Amino acid sequence: MSATQPGQHPTHRSLALYLGGDLPWLAKTKLRVHVRSCPRCQQYVGSLEEAQGELRREAEAQTLTGFEAIADWSRLEREMMGNIGVGVAAARCVDHVGHGRKLLTWTAAVVGLILLFIAGWVTHIPREQTQHIFTAFQQWSGRAPQISGTVLRSSPDGVAVRAQGSTLTLMHPRSAVISVSSTSGMEARYVDSETGQVTITSVYAQ
Amino acid sequence: MRNSWIRLGAVFCALTAGSPAFPADADSSRWLDVEFPRDSPVLAVSFGLAPSTSRVRGASIALDLHASVVLRNTSTRPLVGLTLRVEAQDLLPGGKGSVMVPSLDVQPGEVFPVRLDLQLTRPFNAAKTEGAMVQVSLDCAVFNDLSSYGPDRLKSRRTLLVYELEARRDRRYMASLLKNQQYDQLRQELNFGLQDVRPQQLGFEITRDLRATGRESSISVNTMAFPSAPVQAVGGEAQVSGNELHTPRIELRNLSRKPVRSVDMGWIVRDERGRDFVAGSVPAAMPLAPVETAVASESGTLRFSNAEGQPVAIGALMAFVSNVEFSDGNLWIPSRADIEQATSDPVLRKALSSSPEHQRLADVFRRKGIRGLTEELKRAN
Repeated sequence: MSATQPGQHPTHRSLALYLGGDLPWLAKTKLRVHVRSCPRCQQYVGSLEEAQGELRREAEAQTLTGFEAIADWSRLEREMMGNIGVGVAAARCVDHVGHGRKLLTWTAAVVGLILLFIAGWVTHIPREQTQHIFTAFQQWSGRAPQISGTVLRSSPDGVAVRAQGSTLTLMHPRSAVISVSSTSGMEARYVDSETGQVTITSVYAQ
Repeated sequence: MRNSWIRLGAVFCALTAGSPAFPADADSSRWLDVEFPRDSPVLAVSFGLAPSTSRVRGASIALDLHASVVLRNTSTRPLVGLTLRVEAQDLLPGGKGSVMVPSLDVQPGEVFPVRLDLQLTRPFNAAKTEGAMVQVSLDCAVFNDLSSYGPDRLKSRRTLLVYELEARRDRRYMASLLKNQQYDQLRQELNFGLQDVRPQQLGFEITRDLRATGRESSISVNTMAFPSAPVQAVGGEAQVSGNELHTPRIELRNLSRKPVRSVDMGWIVRDERGRDFVAGSVPAAMPLAPVETAVASESGTLRFSNAEGQPVAIGALMAFVSNVEFSDGNLWIPSRADIEQATSDPVLRKALSSSPEHQRLADVFRRKGIRGLTEELKRAN
């Protein structure tokens, strides 16, 4: 709920709720700032305060004693009905205010969760896994062509042969020298740091 | 469709739970099986599975296996190299791997370790395997008399023999530098003991798919020749599309009087910025009679990228004959003088002379200095 429209004065209902302390925190603050700088609204709030004071004084003066209440049933009934009417009207206003707040809370919670998920994904899931999932989704939805046959691929960490969705990767250190060893094979050559032996890992498509 | 959703849901839940890594089962027989023939001159003495893990990776399960096999040379000859075949037959019937250890000097009765670091990724819906997921077996073992043993299904025998000949060449060359006290030249040869002085790396992708992803154009293949090469590349052409190379064709001429069984073609790729990369060496079974000319052509698609995976556009291609196998089984490899004379580019020269043994000796020099290298060369020669 917006208590004020930009460039406009608050509604009388908003000013009445403000005076009664029934506005949400943010709307109350905005209205307070506006009322302080607006003589017209100050005047209206002042008149409301006066009326409220008069009503309070009158109500105090007219409060029935137990004996009077028993004696004047019709007056008591009118007073009770009036109180109920005021209560229902106030409840409607407050109910409306609560809806807005609830919606805002839920939206903030959902946005927060999404942001937390994105941040967690970016910081915890390696890029290659994201690409794997993206490719899997693309293939599943039929947007990416299925790679047919056997594919050999080198990466800084290994040489791999991939076929039918399965991959065999022979790992190597980043210092390895990678080269093509045949039209259907590639190899990585390095000196094994533990054994001191030259080791050549190869993959083949057959 | 419903299963897809369930699978994707499972993946999503697993990933949102932080993609934890689980220790793989301690029962190594479930993951790896090492099998050697009973009459093998190299036998597995022990086999250990280091801490291995399984984890969710995209829509698949990734299993990291780290194993070490201790082998014994049970023959009567020193072992100079061997290749282990690595297969995941049930999951990857069309793909294989291997771990080759050249430049060995394992005396009869001695043991030596071979490390296996591999990762197997399989989809959630892949059928369960009956036996071990990965099978390791002997493909070929080569001894110092250049005899060999093994089924050689990966045709690794020829490669091991070439590496052994290159190792002997490089050891002789470095021993001569040491003998003549040409220490500056030796330091330059071995990258001054610095680990990171090496040519820039290329990344590769090889498929059988011949469809070009962009506009294809034909480029001529330049040739480079080692002076003493018995077979020389005369010329050729290839289809190029951005970073893709298709169906290269090279015309080869046998300049010798001996019939040739197969030729290994070396490829140098020049990118658009003029940088040269030695892409590798591709063997071609190519019977060539003396003084005969024939065309070698390869099928498939080869894609080039830099170390970060960004495509490297092909500017030019160069081919050369890197080694030759004659019909009598003898092999020709370029000599050090051949390499010196083939190119004036020091980076390219270094790449051409970088054999596995050269790499190993550079590592010995980096760790132990001139004295360690001298001892190593004395032991090996």
